[in-house]
Amino acid sequence: MLKILDFFDYAKSESLWMAHFCTGCCSLEMAAAMGPRYDWERYGYLPTPTPRQADVLMITGLVSKKILPALLRTYAQMPEPKYIVALGACSFDGGPYNDSLSVIKNPTEILPADVFIAGCPPKPEAIIEGLEEVKRKIKEGIPSAASQGGLWQEMEF
Amino acid sequence: MQSIKDILNSFDCEFVEDYKKVWVKAKLNSKDDLLSVAKKLKENGLRSLSTVSPTDFLEDNIMEINYFFEDLDTKRNLWLKLDLPRESETCNIESLTPIFPSANWHEREAYSMFGVDFLNHPDLRDIIKSEDFTGKSPFRKDFDWEAHEKDNLTNVQTIVDAFKKEQAENEVDLDTDSSETILNWGPTHPASGPIRLRVHCDGEDIIGIDPDIGYVWRALEHLITKKDFIGAIVSVERLCFMDNINSMTAYAMAVEEIADVKITPFASWMRVLLGEVARVSSHFMGLGMFFNNMGLHTLAMWNMDTREFFLDFLESYSGARIATASVEPGGVRYGLDMAMFNELQLAIEKFDSSIGEVEAIFVKNPTMKLRAVDVGVLSAQEIHEFGLSGIVARASGVKTDIRIDEPYAAYAELDLDYIIQKDGSAKDRFEMLFHELKQSVNIIKKAKKKIEENVASGEMNPTKDHMVKVPKKLPKGEAISRVEWARGEVLMHLVTQEKAKTPYRLKIRAPSFNHTMMLDHLLQGQTLSDIPLIFGSLYICQGDLDR
Amino acid sequence: MMQTITQAVVFPGLLYALIWAVGLFWFFRKFMATLHKRVGPKFNGIAGSYQTLFDFSKLLTKESITPDGVNPYLFSIMPPLALIIAMLPSAFIPWSDGFIVVGSDYGLLALVVLIGIEPFLLFLTGFGSNNKYSFLGGVRILTQSISMETSFFLAALSPGLLFGTMNLTSIVESSTWFSFLILLPGFILYFIALLGLLEQPPFNIPDAEQEIVYGFYTEYSGTNYFLLKIAEFAEFMAVFAGATTLFLGAYKGLLFDSYFFFFIKMILIAMFMMTLRAATPRITMAQMLRFSWKYMVPITLINLAWVLLAKSLFFMGA
Repeated sequence: MLKILDFFDYAKSESLWMAHFCTGCCSLEMAAAMGPRYDWERYGYLPTPTPRQADVLMITGLVSKKILPALLRTYAQMPEPKYIVALGACSFDGGPYNDSLSVIKNPTEILPADVFIAGCPPKPEAIIEGLEEVKRKIKEGIPSAASQGGLWQEMEF
Repeated sequence: MQSIKDILNSFDCEFVEDYKKVWVKAKLNSKDDLLSVAKKLKENGLRSLSTVSPTDFLEDNIMEINYFFEDLDTKRNLWLKLDLPRESETCNIESLTPIFPSANWHEREAYSMFGVDFLNHPDLRDIIKSEDFTGKSPFRKDFDWEAHEKDNLTNVQTIVDAFKKEQAENEVDLDTDSSETILNWGPTHPASGPIRLRVHCDGEDIIGIDPDIGYVWRALEHLITKKDFIGAIVSVERLCFMDNINSMTAYAMAVEEIADVKITPFASWMRVLLGEVARVSSHFMGLGMFFNNMGLHTLAMWNMDTREFFLDFLESYSGARIATASVEPGGVRYGLDMAMFNELQLAIEKFDSSIGEVEAIFVKNPTMKLRAVDVGVLSAQEIHEFGLSGIVARASGVKTDIRIDEPYAAYAELDLDYIIQKDGSAKDRFEMLFHELKQSVNIIKKAKKKIEENVASGEMNPTKDHMVKVPKKLPKGEAISRVEWARGEVLMHLVTQEKAKTPYRLKIRAPSFNHTMMLDHLLQGQTLSDIPLIFGSLYICQGDLDR
Repeated sequence: MMQTITQAVVFPGLLYALIWAVGLFWFFRKFMATLHKRVGPKFNGIAGSYQTLFDFSKLLTKESITPDGVNPYLFSIMPPLALIIAMLPSAFIPWSDGFIVVGSDYGLLALVVLIGIEPFLLFLTGFGSNNKYSFLGGVRILTQSISMETSFFLAALSPGLLFGTMNLTSIVESSTWFSFLILLPGFILYFIALLGLLEQPPFNIPDAEQEIVYGFYTEYSGTNYFLLKIAEFAEFMAVFAGATTLFLGAYKGLLFDSYFFFFIKMILIAMFMMTLRAATPRITMAQMLRFSWKYMVPITLINLAWVLLAKSLFFMGA
């Protein structure tokens, strides 16, 4: 019995589907990661049209104030277990838009990310490596960061 | 040109003068004259209003408004200035939207960002800025940004509440007995990207569309004023990542004009070369996106394959695939190692070997023609009135291309021809993209050959010629520059103060703003299936839509 | 009794449908990736063959969300029902020489009727989702199936008419190379109608991602989505198997008869469908309706006349 459950856990870690949601310019490199040269489908990643079937939410770059509610709502619509990957400098501290008056400087304080991928924008290799990191975390049984805390739990959206 | 000057001279003007080769620059003394001047200008043939750009002079207590009129046929342009009082009660002016439909959203933007009131505007609502700025004018120089910033979570909650209220009101307003409804097309939608279209529809038929934009608003125009002249290119480049190099070129040209610096021939050829590489990479994405929006991903994948080779060249030149930051005031940032051209050569060979099958399978695709031939038709008249540019304008047969109309960098030495299509449908815009892609690669070949020849003969030194020094402090002045961006015309209006270390104001006129304005006009009476197709064919990028 | 249970659970029942779904999903992804100049699933198992097994296992054990405001019974009863209905046609298919679960004289009729019910169940899944996009997807699938099924039925009838029987085993046994040539127009029409029935390009209107997100699938997650997905692949199997049985001589091979040939023929149809999918954009609802009623239905009727004519010319005498 335990073996069967282990198999399902392993399957969860090896099959990551992405919600189709872009908040900023890093989605351009995400498209390149889907393309023929990098082809993240080799590792089993697949974009899905609706968040209902997704396992991973990618914060692709900057998060403006206006898109934050949509981001939170998309996250809430995903089924458990779910993970968040933050792309680029913007999703860490605002990056080049740190001084801007309409960008959230610390989106991951609101919605904590499991993996950060550095770069502006990150290269496709880095994106794939970051997603592999998510796989490792799932295999080790680490719960997702957003389920452990973050301001999003107190917000109404 | 003379007839424009005659019109202006018949009114009370502070000055009327020639500016660059294709511009007339003038300043009206009285705002009451504006409507009658605009009417006469339109009769004279200046049918497009490119943009409306207010500049807030805090110390002089003046809100200066700049209108940029264009005539796409005869290439005559007018830069009209006007002073308004700064106080919010009296900061108002007659709207030009009834005469120039293209002014619509531009005036709404000026209203939202600067609090300029446009009298008799048909639809003066906030645009771009999020709801927490309602009633505030974020781009005014005296706007207290830090006070606003202090409680960001409350600001977000304001946005959430506004959205909920809007959704609730939507349902109330609708006729309960009919099948009318309002769909949110985006921002979490497979084909939308960060934009929301409020689609008012009856079953599958569209009654009207009201785009809700601002989801990637980064307030670039405000952000740039916090940086120095070199640092600002980081923000300018992020106007849209798909074609970032040409936007940097536009900014660099404006700075060079104020600093009175002339760049070397090598740098100007490099700008052409890099700019065309960026245009190619953008057009590849655009072609792929068009078919993606009809549910076919093959072309996007094939294009991505070829595009990577062009990005390889950018990477070896600048160290980054996309965010190259490689054009800056005074020239181009890096010298060129001639070995880098090997990678460009590889890319060109890859392009030449693969473009044939793209044409055979996708450009001549019978189902695509069946699907897109009558959809989203724009007449030449509409192009003029709504101030559209780039591939959208040329697909309707309007001969406009800033590389030819007002040549910059080294485009004057290239022998370019207008590429146009006749009918202006979605299919024409797609074919336009394809033909321009081929044209751009031809330009790359020519520029590469030119640089190689001149380096071989010793006229250009690729490691030293790339940069001319631009002083860190600029004199007081203002300049405009236009480039043909991948998506259309980008106009930048740069204002500097005395001994300035930072730009005082940079207005970026981005083409997608006008193109998105067309969505409602094009989609009324169509069906839901046409939204992604027309959206994709207008070649919109949310980055330069929101700025 | 034991035999019936084995047939229901193992072959051609549930287990077979599951293996078929895992395999076909992998084949679709791998074949599509090749057409895209990509590699496709690679690192899990040989040529990524475990990948779709992992995908389906994950879906099976993920949270199934029942959204606010839906009718929970309608919402959760439809996926299992859709799966059962989609698996039923395989009972009427002669999978190999002498192997058929229900050998009925009205096998052809049962096959097309069971294939034809599926879209109505999918409409109800969209209807029960309390989501505008799902509802639009449901309405679209209903519209499309009504107009496409007419020509599907008429095309599927042509072998029955030619051989004068509705018994699928007799149809397979009487088929020859010569009858294949006579039925070739019928096969092409069946294939086109199949594209409409299975929502494949250019008729992938009901689950058009770029227009209505994911149609009736939009609100389904976890186990429910898993069941719907298996049902979709079982539907593929039923329709491909129908084509193979009716037009391509089912299990008949070059030297010997076996299930192997049945399988190869189904895969060939799948490959042809995928190639078309990689090169054809989607058309609109109006264009689909016009195509269906103005061209498809009349041509299928003409095809029936041609089959009758051929029968009177070549078969009556014998």
